Amino acid sequence: MTRELTIGTGAGLETSDMVLNIGPQHPSTHGVLRLKLVLDGERVVSCEPIVGYMHRGAEKLFEARDYRQIIVLANRHDWLSAFNNELGVVLAVERLMGLEVPERAVWLRTALAELNRVLNHLMFLGSYPLEIGAITPMFYAFRERETLQAVMEEASGGRMHYMFNRVGGLKEEVPAGWTKRARLAIDEVRRRMPDLDNIIRRNEIFMARTRGVGVLTPAEAAAFGASGPVARASGLDFDLRRDEPYLAYGELDVPVVTRTTGDCHARFECMLDQVYVSLDLAQACLDRVDQISGPVNVRLPKVVKAPEGHTYAWTENPLGINGYYLVSRGDRTPWRMKLRTASYANVQALTTLLPGTLVPDLIAILGSMFFVVGDIDK
Amino acid sequence: MTFRPASVVVNLGIVTALPGVLGEPIRFVLNWGRKYSLWVFNFGLACCAIEFIATSMARHDFMRLGVIPFAHGPRQADLMVVSGTVTDKMAPAIKRLYDQMPEPKYVISFGACSNCGGPYWDSYSVTKGVDQIVPVDVYVPGCPPRPEALLHGILRLQEKIAGEQAGIGGVSRPDLGAEAERRARRDVAALSAPPVRPPQE
Amino acid sequence: MNGVPGGGLAKGLAVTLKTMTKRAHTHQYPDVEPDLPPRSRGVIALLEENCTVCMLCARECPDWCIYIDSHKEEVVVPGAARPRQRNMLDRFAIDFSLCMYCGICIEACPFDALYWSPEFEYSEYDIRDLLHEKERLGEWMPTVPAPPAHDPNGEPAKEETSAAKKAAPPTPPAPSI
Repeated sequence: MTRELTIGTGAGLETSDMVLNIGPQHPSTHGVLRLKLVLDGERVVSCEPIVGYMHRGAEKLFEARDYRQIIVLANRHDWLSAFNNELGVVLAVERLMGLEVPERAVWLRTALAELNRVLNHLMFLGSYPLEIGAITPMFYAFRERETLQAVMEEASGGRMHYMFNRVGGLKEEVPAGWTKRARLAIDEVRRRMPDLDNIIRRNEIFMARTRGVGVLTPAEAAAFGASGPVARASGLDFDLRRDEPYLAYGELDVPVVTRTTGDCHARFECMLDQVYVSLDLAQACLDRVDQISGPVNVRLPKVVKAPEGHTYAWTENPLGINGYYLVSRGDRTPWRMKLRTASYANVQALTTLLPGTLVPDLIAILGSMFFVVGDIDK
Repeated sequence: MTFRPASVVVNLGIVTALPGVLGEPIRFVLNWGRKYSLWVFNFGLACCAIEFIATSMARHDFMRLGVIPFAHGPRQADLMVVSGTVTDKMAPAIKRLYDQMPEPKYVISFGACSNCGGPYWDSYSVTKGVDQIVPVDVYVPGCPPRPEALLHGILRLQEKIAGEQAGIGGVSRPDLGAEAERRARRDVAALSAPPVRPPQE
Repeated sequence: MNGVPGGGLAKGLAVTLKTMTKRAHTHQYPDVEPDLPPRSRGVIALLEENCTVCMLCARECPDWCIYIDSHKEEVVVPGAARPRQRNMLDRFAIDFSLCMYCGICIEACPFDALYWSPEFEYSEYDIRDLLHEKERLGEWMPTVPAPPAHDPNGEPAKEETSAAKKAAPPTPPAPSI
């Protein structure tokens, strides 16, 4: 929904700024982000992201739901990385309760989290070129997504919202032969990824649109609290999986993909290379899963109550750092559950990135910040 | 799973009051045309939008069913798929875009959130169903529904279109009831103030 | 890049040509039924005989979309001193327009009355039809697939262990004196 407004005042070459709204319903906003731009001709003078079109009050709803019911809502705020979201919530609750999760569950969780990371990145690897005008990568990206989604669905029953984590482990054991099929799917995706890679990474048009566009300096990235591929593309070498390992990441060698240029192309490349890394990690986890036997969850009482206190758990979500601040008064529902979401921090960098750019570049920059609107607004 | 061919299930109850100028063959041809060239306008709001995109991609490919996802905006679209949570802040925009669509227009509500609020039914900021602001033709259940469910919803919609009375200048909707008609007449201004205000100069 | 003009175009076309030689991976859905895994969460089926109206599912549901009505009936059990009270299920409805397909009700059910079925073809013209009463929920029962076997490395399913216990030969009775 865009509406432009020009006000002609004065005479001669004197021009006035134009206020242009991009969104809330615009294809390149991946949903309903609204940007209020002040334009001087083709050039953006200032930009104000207006958020809240997807605000669903999830944090308030958490307060009325018990810890199992929270998982259902938690995986819906960043709908592209449902498994990682669930994980953050259960990690926070487990930490507060002092629960030890069985080893097999830990490795399975790590494998599924990495698969989910690939799913998330593939979505952006498809949609970002689409926004710039290259429609084909989307089809390849979704072909791979369907392959992996089939594997995830076989284990959890859901294509997007897995609801597979529980406090103390996973919902149930994976089906027999699942690890083999998951490995086959990973191999297949890895074999076909070069298609997507070749078609877009060094494409002249794509390079021309993204090279040197929207440069985010490391200082700015840190100041805005950006994280994930966006920050790593600017040279902020920070990845919780390596720097503060949770799950089984401590036992894995996690290569952190970084770039230094900080432009749109660097952000895209970070994401693209991360897919290969995540596929390798998932494979390594599946190998370990096959060697470990035992239960995948802890037997808990019917009513799970977190003891009084508060804790903060953070995870490296596909889009960046997600934090979960859990305050419990000893009830079966949390007293407060605050989300620190990656997209919210990343999108704020737009206010410094966009002024001075051209309107066509704006779409390239907007797409390369890799946000999910639900993750911004919660 | 039973699949019924679209042509068999024609709701004959609606077809009775046909204008004299249009005979049965014309009605059939018009509906046939409408049925298989549904230019779709995706109102992608949340999780379900991803499944909508998945449906439009090669694996499920709803263009096989005549649904064309290249409508540039609401003014070129015949079908609006509302996929995702409708918030109170977003509702006026949906209504506005729905009003811009030319008749005949159809709406598919895709997923629990747009059906009735779904997981967020007790949230303070979520509209409890898109059918509160625009009339909905087909409700697809799921959270999110799988892509095949959307294809099934489209088939159901095509059955419905096939049974419609094709009139000049749009289609009357006798099946929606007076309540939905009244709701459909509510304009954007009734929902909220316009989102863009001109600068005070 | 690398200086060759049109290199990116050639690369893209090469990928397209390579894909053209392969079969399309489109699933012809209305003509060919999708092959869904047994755990797939499509619709919830109710096995009415197993329901004891304990209301656990309705209480545990995160958006409270299960409606249960019941009444008590006295059943005369031969041999018992007093007639027993039994809960009779009057109404069991799931509002699928509200349901968020999390499966908590199925997990919470202590008597195995609820099951997942992968069926998904129940979109409706009227939202009221998405409220499935117990008859409709019962109709989904034949579509429920057998659960997949668990990974041999993990714990077997609860059902398996209890079935194995039942199938095990009963301990020999104490020898009569």
